Amino acid sequence: MKTKLRFLCFGILLSSILFSENVALAAEKTRMVATTSTLASMVRELAGDWADIHYIASPSQNIHFIQPTPKDVLKVKKANVFVHQGLDLEAWRDPLLVASGNSLFLSQGSHSIDASKGVPLIEIPASLSRVQGDIHAYGNPHYAIDPENAKIMMGTIADGLSRIFPESASEFAKKSELWISRLDQKIKDWNARMAPFRGFPIVTYHRSWPYFANRFGLVIVGELEPKPGIPPTPQHLSELMKTMKEKNVKLVIKEVFNESSSAEKVAKVTGARVVTLNQDVDEDKETADYIAMIEHNIQLIEKALKT
Amino acid sequence: MRKKSIFISLLFLIFSAQHAFASEISLQTLQEQIGSLANLVKDLQGTVQHQSQLIESQNVKIQFLEKKSEERTISAKGFQQPVSSLSEPVNAPKTAGLSQGFNPDIGFVTSIQANSTQSREDADGKDTIALKEAELSISQYVDPYSRLDGIISFNDNLERQNVDVEEVYYTHWGLPAGFIGQIGKFRSKIGKANLLHSHQLDTVDYPLVIRNFFGDEGLASSGARLQNSIPNPWDIPLEVTGEILRGNNGNSFSGISRRPIFNTHVKTFFEMSKDSNLEFGWTTLFGDENPAINIFNGDGTTTREIPEAGQNKYGVKVFGGDATFNWYLPEGKTLKFQNEVYFQNRATETRHANRNPWGLYSLVDYRFSRRFSTGIRYDFLEPLDVNAHETNAISPYFTFWQSEFADFRLQYSYTRPAGGAEEPNHEVFLKANILIGAHKHPVQ
Repeated sequence: MKTKLRFLCFGILLSSILFSENVALAAEKTRMVATTSTLASMVRELAGDWADIHYIASPSQNIHFIQPTPKDVLKVKKANVFVHQGLDLEAWRDPLLVASGNSLFLSQGSHSIDASKGVPLIEIPASLSRVQGDIHAYGNPHYAIDPENAKIMMGTIADGLSRIFPESASEFAKKSELWISRLDQKIKDWNARMAPFRGFPIVTYHRSWPYFANRFGLVIVGELEPKPGIPPTPQHLSELMKTMKEKNVKLVIKEVFNESSSAEKVAKVTGARVVTLNQDVDEDKETADYIAMIEHNIQLIEKALKT
Repeated sequence: MRKKSIFISLLFLIFSAQHAFASEISLQTLQEQIGSLANLVKDLQGTVQHQSQLIESQNVKIQFLEKKSEERTISAKGFQQPVSSLSEPVNAPKTAGLSQGFNPDIGFVTSIQANSTQSREDADGKDTIALKEAELSISQYVDPYSRLDGIISFNDNLERQNVDVEEVYYTHWGLPAGFIGQIGKFRSKIGKANLLHSHQLDTVDYPLVIRNFFGDEGLASSGARLQNSIPNPWDIPLEVTGEILRGNNGNSFSGISRRPIFNTHVKTFFEMSKDSNLEFGWTTLFGDENPAINIFNGDGTTTREIPEAGQNKYGVKVFGGDATFNWYLPEGKTLKFQNEVYFQNRATETRHANRNPWGLYSLVDYRFSRRFSTGIRYDFLEPLDVNAHETNAISPYFTFWQSEFADFRLQYSYTRPAGGAEEPNHEVFLKANILIGAHKHPVQ
């Protein structure tokens, strides 16, 4: 029995050493992991040519409730760069990092990039209590949906990558500037197309759209969730429908991972239209990058409000 | 006279017509003016709304710049900004002081359970309600290399009201070859269900095979653990865990033992599609038992003695396999199909009658909305203490999720006991799990 045990321990150790990171990564691309598909698409813009980029949260799932898989653990373990949205959006981020045991992100944290740095946050709670629902301690973390914030995020990611790979700093700076100027052009176009809808009242499922609404002048008059993260209740929906009728709300925005029945119900009673917008890149076939995602959302809003 | 009256009538008509025409014109003008004023007011409303939003966003920017300025001032005074993956948020709430930032994350989970059962063997009585468990979890990073996690459990069971150290373990990463080390008391890496705390289970209770082999709450033991996700050129997740646990633990290894329990667990994972995955695991436990022997004295009394030797070293072997299929359906729905099977090879019958007990369970869990989930678990067991007899159970359940912090579960269990002599047991459970504070579970 002792021999068997020794053999087992020896086997585990040997396989670990044989397939250790250095051996496996010798001839591979630099590995980078982003928590969301949106961040991954931004990293791809900067380092897509020479990096293998993996993202954790499937855009079709609610980012608050992601359960990292053994594959995610392995990807983070082998990664050289970890990009995340900071704040408390990814409640599973810490357990994932601990499970991976990657010292680059845990001990020094020097290869970790927090994309929230420099983003002006809104809805920072004055006090913290679950009476207010599943609120976020540091402010609303759904900032990436505002294209102006995306410019800041791109700058932060480029700076972070330049810190980690100083030899490619000029390349990152050039690519980020190009991307930001492309986005600037699109922002002008989007602003012009959304101008007729400025001041239009809307309703959303979750409090994940205030940044987007502020940017394009839409006015959120309520959410389907009575409090952030609390599923809709019949009483709340009834009150919401009353408000929607009073304020003549014509648009209900929901995310792909939230159920349709509540949104369809209030829309039917109030005469509003329901649109399912993308919160993250890759949710739909036509939203393979950030600009395409915002374009897709704007198109859907235009279509819904013009008819 | 006639001409005069005709002339006056004409004049009157012309005057009236003019007056009427003039009134009509002024009314139309007035309506137009009102219309343009309404449009103006509407435009002004839009402008005011836009300006208000602009002011709000400017205020946010000012707050942000003020904060930045404060940070720069602190920096200039010689404080170095920490670089960490767990970075400070840009606008951290001012309610949290610096000292509070170093406090551990504290969470408190309470499970209250009501049972109604026909079983005469039920220690908790036929119909009862109890604070089954109140778990206090405390965790924090110790330093840049490690963290400490602790879960203390308070029970209010009828027969034993006590405090248990459910888990307290220290985790250290960055060991050679990418290993993660843990020491302390932890839930042993056995399959899937044993790793979970009772409030994390899909069902009210642990599967029969886990309860029979490892105890009512599964196997949690003091010991040391080494774990590694082995990188490989094919990027196939292959997680290997080795544990050395204190002996005399769980039903299978009970008694007094001078030797530890060894546990190894291997896990792999496949993505079937973008929204579905499959996980396989294998568990092997070696341990022994050194039970007391009853010696009948001539005067009718009994003495219990612990034999010095004579037991087979590592005479208890437990093998187990687990397979879990997860399917993430549209609109946040999820389907899980989880299975575990365990069998034992025991060298002696000194403590338990069955030298080759085995059991399995299959669980299907369907979360069909944010508020509700349902599922069913099937249990099969040839228990440790009953030879050549099997027990079966089937347990459908329904869960209401008030929020992610409070859920209420109703479960019915039909159990056909081993031996076949007794009547089947019908049980109804109602369990509430309520959580406050910060509570994060490790990645399974």
